[in-house]
Amino acid sequence: MNNKVNLPVRGLLFLLIILFTLPLVVVNAQDKPDQDTIVIAIDSDPATLEPAQVSTRAGANILSHVFLQLYEVGQADGSLVPYLAKDYSISEDGLETTFTINEGVMCEDGSEMTAEDVAYSIKRVADPANGFSGNSNFDLEASGYVDVKAVDKYKVTVTFKAPQDDKLRRGLLSEMYMHCKGPYEKMTLEEASQKPSGNGPYRVMEWVKDDHVTLERVDSFPLRKGNFKYIVWKVIPESSTRAAELIAGNVDLISNVTAEQIKPLNDSGVATVQIVNGTNRFYVGFSQVPGLPFSDTPGGKAILDAKVRVALQYAVDPIAICENILGVTCERMTGMVNKPNDNPDLKPYPYDPAKAEELLDAAGYPKDANGVRFELTLQARKRSGPGGSDVAQAIAQYLSDVGVKTEVQFLENAEFINQITNHQAGPLFLLSTGGSVWSAQYDMADFPAPKATTNYIEYSNPEYFKLWDSLPFAKTAEESRAIELKMEEIFYNDPPWLMLYQGPEVWGVSNRVDYQVRPDGQTIVYATKLK
Amino acid sequence: MFKYLVRRLIRSGFTILGVTFVTFISLHLAGDPTLLYVSQHASANEIAETKAKLGFDRPILEQYTRFLGGMLRGDLGNSLAARAPALPLVLDRLPATIELTFFAMILATVISIPIGIYAAIHRGKASDGGIMLLAIIGQSMPSFWLGIMLILFVGLSLRLLPISGQVPIIKPILEGNINEAIQNLPDAFLHLIMPAFTVAVFSISRNARLVRSAMLEVLTQDYVVTARSKGLSERTIIIRHAFRNALVPVITVLGLEFGFLLGGVVITETVFSWPGVGRLLFNSINQRDIPVVLAAVLLFEFLFIGLIFALDILYVYLDPRIRLD
Repeated sequence: MNNKVNLPVRGLLFLLIILFTLPLVVVNAQDKPDQDTIVIAIDSDPATLEPAQVSTRAGANILSHVFLQLYEVGQADGSLVPYLAKDYSISEDGLETTFTINEGVMCEDGSEMTAEDVAYSIKRVADPANGFSGNSNFDLEASGYVDVKAVDKYKVTVTFKAPQDDKLRRGLLSEMYMHCKGPYEKMTLEEASQKPSGNGPYRVMEWVKDDHVTLERVDSFPLRKGNFKYIVWKVIPESSTRAAELIAGNVDLISNVTAEQIKPLNDSGVATVQIVNGTNRFYVGFSQVPGLPFSDTPGGKAILDAKVRVALQYAVDPIAICENILGVTCERMTGMVNKPNDNPDLKPYPYDPAKAEELLDAAGYPKDANGVRFELTLQARKRSGPGGSDVAQAIAQYLSDVGVKTEVQFLENAEFINQITNHQAGPLFLLSTGGSVWSAQYDMADFPAPKATTNYIEYSNPEYFKLWDSLPFAKTAEESRAIELKMEEIFYNDPPWLMLYQGPEVWGVSNRVDYQVRPDGQTIVYATKLK
Repeated sequence: MFKYLVRRLIRSGFTILGVTFVTFISLHLAGDPTLLYVSQHASANEIAETKAKLGFDRPILEQYTRFLGGMLRGDLGNSLAARAPALPLVLDRLPATIELTFFAMILATVISIPIGIYAAIHRGKASDGGIMLLAIIGQSMPSFWLGIMLILFVGLSLRLLPISGQVPIIKPILEGNINEAIQNLPDAFLHLIMPAFTVAVFSISRNARLVRSAMLEVLTQDYVVTARSKGLSERTIIIRHAFRNALVPVITVLGLEFGFLLGGVVITETVFSWPGVGRLLFNSINQRDIPVVLAAVLLFEFLFIGLIFALDILYVYLDPRIRLD
């Protein structure tokens, strides 16, 4: 009986095997990049390629190759390097900055890039009718922008509300992508978000949503020449898959390498892991916002006391967290300013739980019979990495060890962000905010005023804000620097954050290419070449 | 039949209303989304203006009614992240998800049915035990883990199949590039194998067990005994008499399977970097991109309802005793 019936079943299985193996003979299973192409794995699709609406790192990295910025942040020292702008001057009252742009830069539609295009780009971002809400809006608002006008074909003047540190202002404006008036005037906002018309060293050749973006070199671009003809940004959301693609030789760069992937990648012989101190600042925020559900709890009240906030700095060991959870070495921050602009006189709080306990006792928060001084909730997101769930659990344990019983509350990402931006998060929350390597004041801009949107904890030290308000009126760079240093000292002694670390940038780099990872996580590869 | 179709259409309308209502309300209950549409430094005035412009200041039921009106016109609003209409964004990803789901369904069917039949006719033997053991393992294995293991073993160690990505077939066809679709076929097939198998493995296991038990039940029926006594070959009995009758419950499950597989592709699309609707939906939920979430949910809903509809009609042809009226 069985023999007769088995025949079609076996036949079907045989057919399946043939079907599955036949394509293996016909095509190569894996396509490695050729000598003209560099492939970079990114964890998310840019969603939009609108130069005025960039809000993701993926989008910024791609558009940095397609559009020009006035200045570029230098790789090594965070200096601002001329790019579209070749020069600038500041008016005597400090309210106007005039940029002179390079001649001969061509737009994708064939017209020459002029000061009129720069003015148009800035005005387009500032126009509320366009409804942009990306990084460029932040840059304009933070710079105190009022107006912009083309003075002549290659000179453009931007007017601001008040004087500001020159480097901060140029840096902020240089985060914006300058685009050409001609094509963008003709496009609807929807078209502009999907079909960028560039002016940089590369142009967008193909964008397959959620799959890849391919850039092609513009050989006629006058300011520089990319080494690769094609740059492919391949979207690979899962970190294990990115690591596998790197080892297989199908991609050249991957970001967000996890602790357990470092050794296998280094041992693979085809890739190396590069780790640098990043510009994202990781911290635990101590909410000082009044009237929230936790504000009147013993824990909520305790963290209003600067002595308690200082004591808790000693209770946590961020260096051990880095080594044991993230698998990297990092330094503890002394404030909100990244290296190299931080105050060199401030030493990171050491891990000293005994001192933490001593300070908490002295502040009037003794342990009760159960060994608890007061209770807190630490809000965090379920994710991996330097701001992830493991780190939150570790911090909660450190705090609990000194009698501050801390429970971690994991929130869904959108809800977490919602609470943060509405100043409702807390009493503790684990967060990171982007910083820079080029300006202390850029890093300090998290706290422009006690009720500012980005001041999520409503830090309100009057001395700090008095100094912040005086910064625009500093007459010299030295005077400005002295104010910055003083502000960092105030922040250190009256900390609104439990300071952790500059989030490490952990990248896997194929041994085929000569690439140096940047602290700001930007992936600028026009100068990258094959080894 | 006509009455039945009308009745089903009306019921489907209510289902669509129910699902959109629950999705709409739950997304709005998660908090005011206005802040996601303005810059970090927006003033209270700017926030209020944006809120009014987007209609988030209106009562929730009014917002829902406006959404329904837009839905009827095919306008589900603009994506917050992409700044482009939500529905085309979702539709753009649909072919990739259909390819993956359809291929997974084919795999689930062509693998589970023969092994289910094989296990049934070898009931109690070692091969039956082995198949059932594998089926239990297959049902209990997390698809995320299986996907990663396939990548590491088949993709990385053996280098037999592509590790991630997709090569399109349906999309070029829709764009009128038939030649491109044909050229893509071998490569597309290779890219499909691992993700489709990952999606399908639960269904293969479950369906193999289902086919086995359905076959075992049918094989003891009087008409099978009669067929044997008439001297028909065992092959004819199994394929023409037993299997056809065992197919009705199997078809029911396979039909619902498509909906199950559609839901299951979210994780697999992420692991294998498959540019489909599941991944878009997952990212949009994280970003609270409400128009895209609603568009994707609505699309899945329409697909599922349409499928159930088609299945009901298929039953009539498979089993003439079934009357839809």
